Amino acid sequence: MLDAFSRAVVSADASTAPVGDLSALKAFVASGNRRLDAVNAIASNASCMVSDAIAGMICENQGLIQAGGNCYPNRRMAACLRDGEIVLRYVTYALLAGDASVLDDRCLNGLKETYAALGVPATSTVRAVQIMKAQAAAHIADTPSEARAGARLRKMGSPVVEDRCASLVAEAGSYFDRVISALG
Amino acid sequence: MKSVVTTVIAAADAAGRFPSTSDLESVQGSLQRAAARMEAAEKLSGNLDNVAKEAYDACIAKYPYLNNAGEANSTDTFKAKCLRDVKHYMRLISYSLIVGGTGPLDEWGIAGQREVYRALNLPTGPYVAALSFARNRGCAPRDMSAQALTEYNALVDYVINSLS
Repeated sequence: MLDAFSRAVVSADASTAPVGDLSALKAFVASGNRRLDAVNAIASNASCMVSDAIAGMICENQGLIQAGGNCYPNRRMAACLRDGEIVLRYVTYALLAGDASVLDDRCLNGLKETYAALGVPATSTVRAVQIMKAQAAAHIADTPSEARAGARLRKMGSPVVEDRCASLVAEAGSYFDRVISALG
Repeated sequence: MKSVVTTVIAAADAAGRFPSTSDLESVQGSLQRAAARMEAAEKLSGNLDNVAKEAYDACIAKYPYLNNAGEANSTDTFKAKCLRDVKHYMRLISYSLIVGGTGPLDEWGIAGQREVYRALNLPTGPYVAALSFARNRGCAPRDMSAQALTEYNALVDYVINSLS
């Protein structure tokens, strides 16, 4: 498992050279608190994100919870919720590390083959991940939609930075995209 | 590779939980010291050749017998390899400063070190002399800030301990 720092070191070691450009890592350090807040925003809302993503996936495809569907009976629905949480957890780890290696090695490696063997439909899985991607973006930027959340609207705090951590939203999005492309 | 972040993630993953507040506190503690470590790494890697050369020269001055025929520093090839080894250690120290843990030194420098030196019949004393020179040569604030020098010294000490 690597993080942003050890990734730079491993690639410098390949050419037995000192790490040349430290500016990206210095920026990582300087915006470290933003990253920790982003991780906290996801971790604190994780169970809500997962159940909403799976519920959204089922709303769009009711066949999943009818007899013969992949979320029927409860045992398989529970497995689905568990897998949603696992994917979100590894994306959170990758966001904390600033590197996708933990997600690749421990979650995505062999996932597609496992789901194919178990008969889990890839399109539904991808849809749930897409919903979690949108949720993560809203939680990191702290811009939950009042129209959709209604009485359940929940904000992490008052915004402290102008750009609302746009770079971290993009980075988290890239990890969700990695999951989606690994499943496709 | 061992660092604060990877250790925290490995522990959270083993327990199957999301990163907790105390996990994030640990990472923040590492990030707070990162600025000093980055400074030390930057200064060291920008001057790697000179630091290694000085340390190498100091150890040969202390152990001149190494230049005698058949000893570890007797031929030009051997001399180049001795200097290269010292330079490797300094480079791995700069990596460890960046990572914020001893991972690069452990994995690429210290693992198997004893066996290699025994097989090649190399003395470890001169390495200690070279690294001790590099450690005591550093001076704050001439070379880097005091906090950066502390981080640098701690890692040089780590290597010296592994060799003695």
